[in-house]
Amino acid sequence: MTSLGTAATVAPPEPESQHLGAPLYVAWQITNECNLACLHCIEESGPGKKFKDELDDSQVFSVLDQMMALDIPYLSFSGGEPMVHPRFFEMTEYVCERGAQLKVETNGHYLTPDNCARLRDLGVKAVQVSLDGATRATFNRIRVLGEFDRAVEGIRNLHAAGVPVEINFSPTSFNIREIGAVVDLAHELGAYSFYTGRTMYTGNAVKAWRHLEVADAQYEEFFDTLRAKAEEYAGRMRVNFHEAGLLEELRYRLREPAALLIVLPNGLVKLINALPFICGDLRRQTLAEVWSNFQRAWRDPRVAEFVDDLARDPGRTRVLHQWVHV
Amino acid sequence: MRLAKYVKFREEKFGGVLFETRTEKVLTLNTTAAAVVREIQAGCAEADIAARVKERFEGDHGAIEREVNEFIADLRRRGLAED
Repeated sequence: MTSLGTAATVAPPEPESQHLGAPLYVAWQITNECNLACLHCIEESGPGKKFKDELDDSQVFSVLDQMMALDIPYLSFSGGEPMVHPRFFEMTEYVCERGAQLKVETNGHYLTPDNCARLRDLGVKAVQVSLDGATRATFNRIRVLGEFDRAVEGIRNLHAAGVPVEINFSPTSFNIREIGAVVDLAHELGAYSFYTGRTMYTGNAVKAWRHLEVADAQYEEFFDTLRAKAEEYAGRMRVNFHEAGLLEELRYRLREPAALLIVLPNGLVKLINALPFICGDLRRQTLAEVWSNFQRAWRDPRVAEFVDDLARDPGRTRVLHQWVHV
Repeated sequence: MRLAKYVKFREEKFGGVLFETRTEKVLTLNTTAAAVVREIQAGCAEADIAARVKERFEGDHGAIEREVNEFIADLRRRGLAED
C-alpha cells in the first residue's frame, strides 16, 4: 500500500529504462530494400540492398506477437523503404488491430490515394515523409532516383485521406538554405509536426560527404531559422529540431538510455542508431531476453569507450555498420 | 472520461507510464496515479474514481480525494484525458 503523495501528479521526467519491464518504443527497420539511393542514407539502403538474411514471414509475426504481448505502446516501421516490404500492410494491420500506435517513416513514393485510404482505415498514428528540399532540383539531387513531385503528391494524398502527416528534413550544404521554405511547405501540405537535426557522417554520407558537409556557420543560421519558424507556427504545427551534436546526445544517453530498441531487418537489435553495438538477435532470443540485455549493455565499458573515442575522432561514426555485439 | 486518442498507458512495477505519442513524451506515474488511470480506462465515472481509489489505499482519505481530483484535472489540462 502507499499513500497518494505529491508524486501522484503527472511527473515530467522520463522513466529510467532500467526500471521498465519492456521497451516503450520499437523502431523497426523492416527491410533494407529501397526504391531510392539517397546520398545521405545512414542505412546504405537502395535498390537491391535488401539484406540476404532479413526476417522471414514467420519470424516477423513472431516478433510482432512478442511486442504485443509485452504491451509495447509505440512502434515505427522504417527501412529502407518500409512500403516495399511484401507484408507491409499485414504488419501494419497486425499492430494497429492490437491497439499499439504505429508511425510509418517513408520516402512518400508509394502514397497513392488507395494506399493512404488503407493507412487511414488501419488507424496508423502518423506517416512521416522525408522532404529534403523545397524545390524539385534540390530534392532530386539528394534523393537519388526520387521525384519531388511524387513525394509531394503523396503527402497531399495522406492529408486528403485524413492521415496525420509528419515531415522530416535532413540538412546538407546544398539544401540547408531552403529550410524556411520547407517548413512553410510542410505546413501548407497539412503536416502537424516537422522534424530535423544534424545529418550524420555515416552510411552513404561518408562517400558523399564533400557534397553534403554543412559548415558550422550554416548550422547556426539553420537553427536560427528553425527557432523563428517554431514561434511562427506555434499552435499550428510543431517544429521539432535537435540542435545538440551527436556527442552531446550520446553522453546524455549513457546516463539516461531511452527505452527504445532499434530492430534491424535481420532481427539484430541495436543499442541506439548512432552506435555500432548490437544487444540482441530476435532470430535466437526472445524480445524479453533482448530487453534484459539492452538494460545491461548500456553499462558495458566498450560503449562509454566508443563515445569517448568519438570525442577525439568524430569520424568514427563511419564504422557504425561494423557491428559489435555487447 | 477516457484517455485521449494518442495516449497509451502501461502498468509497471513502480506504477505506470503514460505515453503521449503525438509529442512522443513519456510521463511516469506512481502506483496510485496508475490506479486512477486504470479506473479511467475501465470506464469508471469521474465522480466515482476517488472513492474507488480510496478503497485501495491507506492514508488520509480526504487528502487522497483531493489529490485524485487534482491529478484528473492535470490529465485533462495536459490533454491526456478527455470527456
